[in-house]
Amino acid sequence: MTPVLQARGVSVAFGAVLALDDVELEVGEGKLVGLIGPNGAGKTTFVDAITGFVQASGTVHLEGRDISSLPPHRRARLGLARTWQTIELFDDLSVRENLAVAARRPSLGSSCAEIVFGRQPRAERLAEEALALLDLEDVAEEMPSDLPQGRRKLVGVARALVERPSLLLLDEPAAGLDTRESEDFGQRLRRLVDGGLPMLLIDHDMGLVLGICDEIYVLDFGRVIARGTPEEVRNDPRVLTAYLGTSAAAEIERGTDVAVASPGRRAPERDGARLTAPEAGDR
Amino acid sequence: MLASQIFAYAVIGLGSGALIAGVGLGVVLSYRGSGVINLAAGAIAMLAGYCYWALATGDLGVTFPMGWAITLTLLFSAAVGIVFELGVVRPLRRQAPLAKLVATLGILLSAQAAIVLAFGQTAKPQPSILPAGNVTISGVIVPDYDLWMAGIVVVVTLLVAAAYRWTRFGLGTRAAAENEAFATLFGLSPNRYSLGNTVLMALVMGLVGMLAASIAEVDPSTLVLMIVPGLAAAMFGRLTGFTTTIVAGVVIGMAESVLLYLSTQSWFPTSNGGPLPGVDELLVLLVLVAATFFRAGKIPPRGDIVEPRLPRAPRPVAPLRTAAIFVPLAAVAMWALPFGFREGLITSCIFAISLLSLVVVTGYLGQLSLVQLGLAGVAGFMVSHLFTNFGIGFPWAAILGVLGATLLGVGFGFPALRVRGVQLAVVTLAATVALETFWFSNGSWGASVTGAPVPAPSLFGFSFGTNASFHGLGGGEPSPLFGWFCLIVLVVVALLVANLRRSGLGQQMLAVRANERAAAATGVNVRNVKLTGFAIAASIAGVSGVLLSYSYGSITASSFSTLIAVGLVAFVYITGITSVPGGIFGGIIYIGGLFAYALLDWFGLQGNWLNLAVGFLVVFSLISRPEGGATFLFYGKRRHRWPRGTKSPSQDALTGREAQSGGAGRPGKSLQPVEVTP
Repeated sequence: MTPVLQARGVSVAFGAVLALDDVELEVGEGKLVGLIGPNGAGKTTFVDAITGFVQASGTVHLEGRDISSLPPHRRARLGLARTWQTIELFDDLSVRENLAVAARRPSLGSSCAEIVFGRQPRAERLAEEALALLDLEDVAEEMPSDLPQGRRKLVGVARALVERPSLLLLDEPAAGLDTRESEDFGQRLRRLVDGGLPMLLIDHDMGLVLGICDEIYVLDFGRVIARGTPEEVRNDPRVLTAYLGTSAAAEIERGTDVAVASPGRRAPERDGARLTAPEAGDR
Repeated sequence: MLASQIFAYAVIGLGSGALIAGVGLGVVLSYRGSGVINLAAGAIAMLAGYCYWALATGDLGVTFPMGWAITLTLLFSAAVGIVFELGVVRPLRRQAPLAKLVATLGILLSAQAAIVLAFGQTAKPQPSILPAGNVTISGVIVPDYDLWMAGIVVVVTLLVAAAYRWTRFGLGTRAAAENEAFATLFGLSPNRYSLGNTVLMALVMGLVGMLAASIAEVDPSTLVLMIVPGLAAAMFGRLTGFTTTIVAGVVIGMAESVLLYLSTQSWFPTSNGGPLPGVDELLVLLVLVAATFFRAGKIPPRGDIVEPRLPRAPRPVAPLRTAAIFVPLAAVAMWALPFGFREGLITSCIFAISLLSLVVVTGYLGQLSLVQLGLAGVAGFMVSHLFTNFGIGFPWAAILGVLGATLLGVGFGFPALRVRGVQLAVVTLAATVALETFWFSNGSWGASVTGAPVPAPSLFGFSFGTNASFHGLGGGEPSPLFGWFCLIVLVVVALLVANLRRSGLGQQMLAVRANERAAAATGVNVRNVKLTGFAIAASIAGVSGVLLSYSYGSITASSFSTLIAVGLVAFVYITGITSVPGGIFGGIIYIGGLFAYALLDWFGLQGNWLNLAVGFLVVFSLISRPEGGATFLFYGKRRHRWPRGTKSPSQDALTGREAQSGGAGRPGKSLQPVEVTP
């Protein structure tokens, strides 16, 4: 079966800096794939490369189709939806209009009809569903800039959802959410995936990523250093080294109490990366 | 001898090149100090020029000797700089770059109006402050002052550049421009550096104003419009480089001078017996376009603390209902008002249409285009020439005129794919100047000073031109028939623009305005949306140009002058550039419109008093009501509401889409399987 997303040999160079080095990544049908890595590892650059916002070498296939040379908006129309770490909402449009822009592709004919006859664009069922799904109905008429950070993130996710994507790329959607909100949010994502929408999830919240993903890629200095199930990744010494540095990782491996695997204790934080263990029953 | 003659003329061009370079230097100083693209730099030089004239010729009752006059003029310039800083730059620090630019446009208008009101339109011959000798280069007499001016400007530039490099003031300015927050943290005051740079800018402009007198008289428009080549030079210097700016400015001046020489040659293209006009301005436009394409991409952005936005563009609630209230009133007024007021009302209707084109291109799409009035002129002149050259009358001439304006508007839209915001404003400003001089003032394509005739519109033998006779009112101009015609066109255009805001296309425009990257990521074709927006705006501008030509019965270049184009933008910012009511009220208060006529008729106030006020009004409204007075009046603080009477989200919306996408049965295409959890 062809994977929904297949990235082969994706490399991005900013001048002399190789931000991504020959990254191979696949997202299978109905899978929730996590992409983690310390700050500066190249996670967001990877999303930018896949969606066409930075010049990259290598090939990207979406549902078997080569999209490597398409401009961003064409990739989006083929079903590649994304959210942004920096949220990037349309601040001049209400929340509902933000979703409407993503949900509708007005044709020339329908635009003319709306402009000449003053017909109103229909309230999109998908948009309403997405608002309900992410509990945004009460702020549908607000302007995004009036909302708190967490909810603005959710608007970004909702906007990506109404594009009817065949793959959703989420760039740090849970940053700004507290632990409870994050768990709740994870469950919603999981249900969407179980409903058939594959996703690539980038996040610093280890609890979230380790708890709900089917497969995880770990990126460090632009290279994939590990790939596997949450269990495998959690115990991979290379991952610990990347996150905590050599000495701390060695210490943890020596010790009987492995912080990342034991519930209730928090590993040392590095640049906001939380290495907390998932709670039982997250899935 | 051609080559040596060209050389001699290039040397003569040093003088005007030095002035252009000086204005460019002022633009750079303003940008480095406060991030403002200061379109009023030339106007400040003009103020200084008049100040020196008044002091040196005894217009104020006392005649000062040259040294004193120069010193006092420089003091006056510094004072203007302080007022400009405290009254415009500082209050608008947190505003969008576009808003700042419009504020400087307003100041330009105010300064110009103040001079016209105080000293009249005629040019004032000035005593030169430079030695009056000559040198002769290959038979061409080159005045000494050209060389002096170039020398002075170069020395001033070197001094400024050295100060920027080696003094604490320069270092602080650079730090504040780089990152305002950090500069503040390190105890630097961005406000102080901004003030210092503005005063420095004003002093340089004062010098330019006095030097200008040495090659020309001082008049209310030449120095003001020198901002266009000055901007071209500054753009070459990426708005930050002193030496590049100076070199570019001097080269532009020399090239213009050489062009002047070439135009005396027999092979030079002619028009109506004289050399082709406007080649200078076309050259400046081309330089500016080249600078924008090859240099402007690397203009260093400013590290301001907040990222400001354009004012909100509210969704019209019930445009038809609003129209139903106001249109009958206007229709009755069109018949009942005395002639002068009727004329004002008609002019208001036409300018309102012009301004609605700005609402589309700037308010909705976020691109400040100053060329909309130029596009109107294109349509107007096409109507005139289609009749005189080909005998085509209404409605075909009007349709073709609008079409021509639309095509040209899309052409101007292409640069907007590369450059945005403020830079686009600069390019379109140059385009307006070039259109005015190269096309409209050209006797063969445009009109001579006496104007090109425009036939009255009529359909099936029924005339509704401005001189159409109307029962009970005789043939007095303007005819209410023409007024109603304009009113109907305005209503149609206004409703279309209101509907555009509510349509899917309008939402896409606002999405592009807000965030081009995110718009592309949600599948919006940014390029097409921009070009469509430019096309719509240009066609609306074309409609206004056609009506304007019909209303005058003949058409001249001065109806579409750069200063009017600038004035329209400033006025619509006061009433609201993001909404239909804003555009319409802008038309009402604009010079020549209903409000202006009322001021004239009741209080004897000329249009220039309005222009004088506009600078203050723009700054005031940008601070207190950034969305504009009329927009606020009509939409208040209301939130966007999902309009009544629209279909509620229904089952078929989803199934319809499913069938369309061909992805029926694909679970990933719907949110359906997911239960909504509270």
